[in-house]
This record gives sequence, C-alpha cells and structure tokens, in this order.
Amino acid sequence: MNGRVFSVILLPTSECNVACDYCFEHKEPHRLSSALLPLLTRRLLDHLEHENIEVCEIYWQGGEAMIMGPEWFVDAGNLMGRAAAERGRKFVHFLQTNLISYSPSWNRVIHGMFNGSVGTSMDYPNVHRKLFKGGPEAYTKVWTKRLYEARAAGIKIGVIAVLHQASLEAGAERFYRYFAEDLGLDDFQVNTPFAGGPAKNVDGGFQLDSGELARFLGELFDIWIQKGYSTGVSLGPFDALIDHFVGRPARLPCIWKENCSNQFISVDARGTVAQCDCWVTSYPEYFFGNMFREPDLTRMLKTSRARQDFVDRPKHLMEHEDCLACRYLSICHGGCPVRTYSAKGTLLAKDPYCEVYKVVFARAEAHGQQILRQRSAAAGKAHAAELNDRKVSFSVTG
Amino acid sequence: MGKPLVNEGSGRVGVPLEPDWPIVFLPSGSASSHRASPFVAIVRSPAELSRWLSEPSPGLQWLQVEGLLQDPDAWAPATHSTSTVPLDVVMANPASEFSDLYRLVDTFAVRDVRVSMPASPGFLKALKVAVALRLPVRLLPGQPSSEVPIELIEAINFYLRDPMVETPVEFFHSVLASMCGAGDGSLWMILEEDPALFLHREVDGGFNVRGVSSSPSPSILDPTVLAGLASEAAPKNLFSATFVDTWFKRLLGQDAECATCPWQQICQGYFKWPDPAYDCEGVKQLFSAIELVANEMGSELAGRDHIGPENELGKLGSIATS
Repeated sequence: MNGRVFSVILLPTSECNVACDYCFEHKEPHRLSSALLPLLTRRLLDHLEHENIEVCEIYWQGGEAMIMGPEWFVDAGNLMGRAAAERGRKFVHFLQTNLISYSPSWNRVIHGMFNGSVGTSMDYPNVHRKLFKGGPEAYTKVWTKRLYEARAAGIKIGVIAVLHQASLEAGAERFYRYFAEDLGLDDFQVNTPFAGGPAKNVDGGFQLDSGELARFLGELFDIWIQKGYSTGVSLGPFDALIDHFVGRPARLPCIWKENCSNQFISVDARGTVAQCDCWVTSYPEYFFGNMFREPDLTRMLKTSRARQDFVDRPKHLMEHEDCLACRYLSICHGGCPVRTYSAKGTLLAKDPYCEVYKVVFARAEAHGQQILRQRSAAAGKAHAAELNDRKVSFSVTG
Repeated sequence: MGKPLVNEGSGRVGVPLEPDWPIVFLPSGSASSHRASPFVAIVRSPAELSRWLSEPSPGLQWLQVEGLLQDPDAWAPATHSTSTVPLDVVMANPASEFSDLYRLVDTFAVRDVRVSMPASPGFLKALKVAVALRLPVRLLPGQPSSEVPIELIEAINFYLRDPMVETPVEFFHSVLASMCGAGDGSLWMILEEDPALFLHREVDGGFNVRGVSSSPSPSILDPTVLAGLASEAAPKNLFSATFVDTWFKRLLGQDAECATCPWQQICQGYFKWPDPAYDCEGVKQLFSAIELVANEMGSELAGRDHIGPENELGKLGSIATS
C-alpha cells in the first residue's frame, strides 16, 4: 500500500434548502439512493485497489447534504465501512453543510461517522445567503442559532467564508472580528469567489477588483497574525502558508496543488464524475463519465479526454505562461482550474487571481520570516540565560 | 546528494554496502543476472521499469530511468507499485523536457525520486520546475560549454539565496557544505562519478566515466587486487578503484592549471575529464560564487553561537531569510 490518499467530493443530493444568490448549482431533485450506494462504493474500492491506495477521504456536500437525514448517513457510513474493511481499505468521512437543518438528531452520526466535526459556510456581511422565505437576516439568525446549538453539543465547527464586494467594503478588521470574536470561531477560512455557471458568463456582482481583494487579504493576514496566530485561531489558507514559510509540513488548499487531477474527483447523486464539485455541478463539457454506467472508474479517469486537460494543465502553464519566472511557483503551480475556466473559458491558462495570490504569498513570507526571527531571538535569549546560570552556578560552587 | 538514494537504514531491498564495494551500474538486461554486489539497473522502457518495480532483486539500490520522461504512461507502475525502490530520473535535454517533470508528481508522492540533468544550455528551467516540485536534483556539469557557467552561477544564486528553495541541488549543496567545513568529498564523489564508488561497467569488463571508456579494470571486487593497486605508483592505465587519484596526479604532473587552482581539493580534476585542455575559467567563477555564500554563511553563523553550524547547514538557503 502506498501513502497516497484519494479524495472524493460526494454530492448525495443536488437539492438545497436555501436560496443563495451566488449558488451555481442546478438544484434538481436527485438523491443518491441506498440501492446505488453499494455500487458506488464498489467502484471506488476497485479504483483504490487498482491504484494501491489504502485511504479514501469522502467529503459529503450538496446541494445540502443534511437533506438526506441522519439515518441515511448512518446506514451509508456502515455500508461503506464494512465494504472497505473487507478489502483492506478505509473511508474517512467529512461533512460540509449549511447547518440550517441541523438538530440534535444529527449528533450521533456527526460524533461517529464525522469524528465530531462539520464544515459550514457563512459570509460577512451576509447579503447573499437567503432562506426560501426570509432574506439574509433570517438566514443569519437561523444559522447562528444552529452554530451555537451544534457547538453546545460538542461539535467542532469550521467555517468557509466567500468574499464578496460587501466584505471588502466592511473591511478586514470587522470581517475578522465577526468570525473570531462575535461568533467565537477558532477555525475558519476565506475563499476567493468565482462565478460558476457558464464559462466567461461572469456576473459583475461576484467579480472583485484584484487590487481591492489583494489589499483586503493582506490586511486580514496582518490582523490574524496580530490577534489570532498566537492564540490558536486557525484562518485558512493563511495558516497553511505560515506553516510552509516556517518550515512545518503544510497542507495547502487544492487550488495550489501541483496537479489536482490525481488527488480527487467529485461524484454527484446521478453518478456523474468530474474534477471537483464546481465542475460536476456547472460544466457538463468537462464531465469525465458516469460511475453507474461505466464499470471501471480507473479506466474512465485514464481515458477521459476531458480529464486529460486537467492532467496536462501544469505542463502547459510551464510552457506558455510566466509561472516559471514566479518565485512562488512551488506553492501555486498556476492556481485553480475552475477559477480559470469560469473567467477565461479555458483551463489551459493561469488562475485569474494570480496577482492576488502573489500579494498573499509575499505577506505570508514576510510574516513567516518574522516568526522565525522571533523564534531565533527567543532561543538566543534562552541560551544567554542558560550561560549566565552556568556562570553563577560555577562561581557559587567554585 | 542531500536526499541520498543509497541509504543503509531505509529498509530498501539490497545487500549491505561495503566500503570497498562500488555500486555497479548495469543495463536492465545484464542487471537481471547480477548478484554479487549492490547495483543500479538502468531502465529505458516502460516494460523494464515495470518489471524492476515488481521484482526488485537483492542488491538493487535504485533504478536509473532514462528516456521515459516524455512518456505519459510510463509512470503509472511507479505510482502504483508496492515496492519502495527509489528512482533516479535522468533528463537528456532539460531545456525541452522541463515541463514533463510534472509527470513525476504522483510517483514522488510514494517513493524517493531524484532528477539528474546535464548542465546543458537552458537547464535552469528544468532546475526551477524540479525545485518547485521539491524533487532533489543532481546537476551534472561535465565540461560545460562556454555559455553554461553563466547559467550555472544564476542557478547557484537561485539555489542558495532564494528562500523558496527547499530541496537539495547537487553539486551546489555538498560543495557549499564542504566550503563551510561540513564535508570533504570531491566533485567526483558528490556527483556519483567516482568509479571507485559508482562503477559504470561495460560489456567488455571495462568501465566508463561520464560515458568515456577507460581501460579494462582488474577484478575490482578482489581485495588483494585492490590492496595492490593502492600501494603501487600511479599506473599508466586508469583503474576504477584509483581512477580519481591517478587522474588528478597525472594532471598535476602535466602542469595543468589544477596545480595552482584554489579549488583543486574539491575538484580533483573533475572539470579536466575527459579533455585535460578544458579551460576552467568559467568553473572557477562558479566556485568563487559558492565560496562567497559560504563566507556569508560563516559570518552569519559566527553571530549565532547558540545554533550549531550543523543545524544551519541542514537548511542551506536560510541565509536569504534572515
């Protein structure tokens, strides 16, 4: 068994219980049936076996995953766990939910199958996340209530915030305070937005000015270092970048992987396979195939013409973009294919947020150096104190 | 190399390494019957690569993979195989093959992989991609053409001064370490071209150094022969066990510029092989560039007496972060 981990972003339903403005998914009433789950599990295990991979991470998303109900997940977890164990493999499960339909009935499966933690999403300010009945205020109120209830039940919560124009206008200070202080979160991350939907059909409301976005992220980075870094607040992707720059093992987000094509796939309720949830919900032209119709996932991935573009992308970028001249190549590799595709209509180009990333990387590098210098100075002081102690000790005993 | 492919403690398949036993490099076909000593199999086809990964015989230290970087399907066995045999992927033309290094990402996730490349014009592109993928690099300068030393100096500055560079690049890494007092190997050894330790055997029983055939060697595995060679005055022919010493003495005897070269200890005539008339002006500038950094590091370390030099040398390149 080799040490690789394969990840699957699994969408058991496309349905959703909220109506967010910027959602690019088609909310069709498809659900992954219990009857098809064994087949999906077998296909995944066949692939793991062929690739000699022991562990498969399943990221349950939607639509809204909680629409499936807790008992469905209990059964799914048991079935997949048994099937994996029989073949010497292991599934590790994660849950991404909007939390709106969370209730105590979820606690057992969250503490069991999902190891006591869930991921959710909220923006600041919330102007785009809405309930079907009720605007953003109602959504925020319900979500916050559920957040507190889940935390009271001992569930660890990680929050993803998508930045939008109102976030930039509110400012980094207020943004940070909302998540870290108002909500008391110690684990959240910021994502750069992208339009989703048809390529190049960029909605003006979600396209941010790169300069403004870079300035916001730079300020947020500074605030987090000042207030959160040393107090245990984890703010992604800044925390991973700091790990990188101070020499610790870093788990950088998927947008900055060497090549995402061999690390994960996404599968929707109908068995459609694509690179990630963004692709499987938005871009039929880049579907790799169907898990239920094709008997061999490994072969599907190997022969898919659509997937070949993902495989070839880094090589293409090295030859045709200016990535090779960038000092941050090792932590970016040209950025995210879907952000590129949604903005440019091709994935054989570098990420449109290139200049924003460079600002963030430079800020991370500067903070990393500062942390190393402080560490070195502290070690020097400790050493001097130790030498002084020895001298005192020598003069006393001598 | 900073991340050695040969590692006695790694639990890899293989016979124990004895100090007097060279690692023998053999084409895949003849390596199959090799049993006596540690060896490296040179593979040149996907089938050979796949076979050695699935059936690594005792004594195999690593696979030297040649001519497969451009084949997108060649690397799947190296990614899926359960064996942990390391790979040394040799690039023929780094200036054109540089982007193909992305094909090694998945393989590198499951086994040690090193990239070896000639310092031919344009090699820096491949070096940058390899470093970005955190692949250890062995840069083989040979006798670089006149335009290459400039690119080598650029590469040295990239390697030694850019804090984004984490992975070891030989020969820069070991030469700098040596200049900082943390190593005494010659370039021949650093670059795994000393036939006393890394023997490229030929069909007729002789050996070659950097692709250039030398005289047939006596049985180098016979300790009595080895002892005899060591005690003799330099033979006219070049024997694998004493090749470097003999070659260097011969250069000194012929009044080559090595006699007055300040870098003669670490070079030992490396850049004079195979053409002793090679003009070393460019490579001397190269050594000077490394020495400059070594001196900077020395000054910096002197100001940090609480951190041992060994700790600092563990991450060369940190000089630029401070």
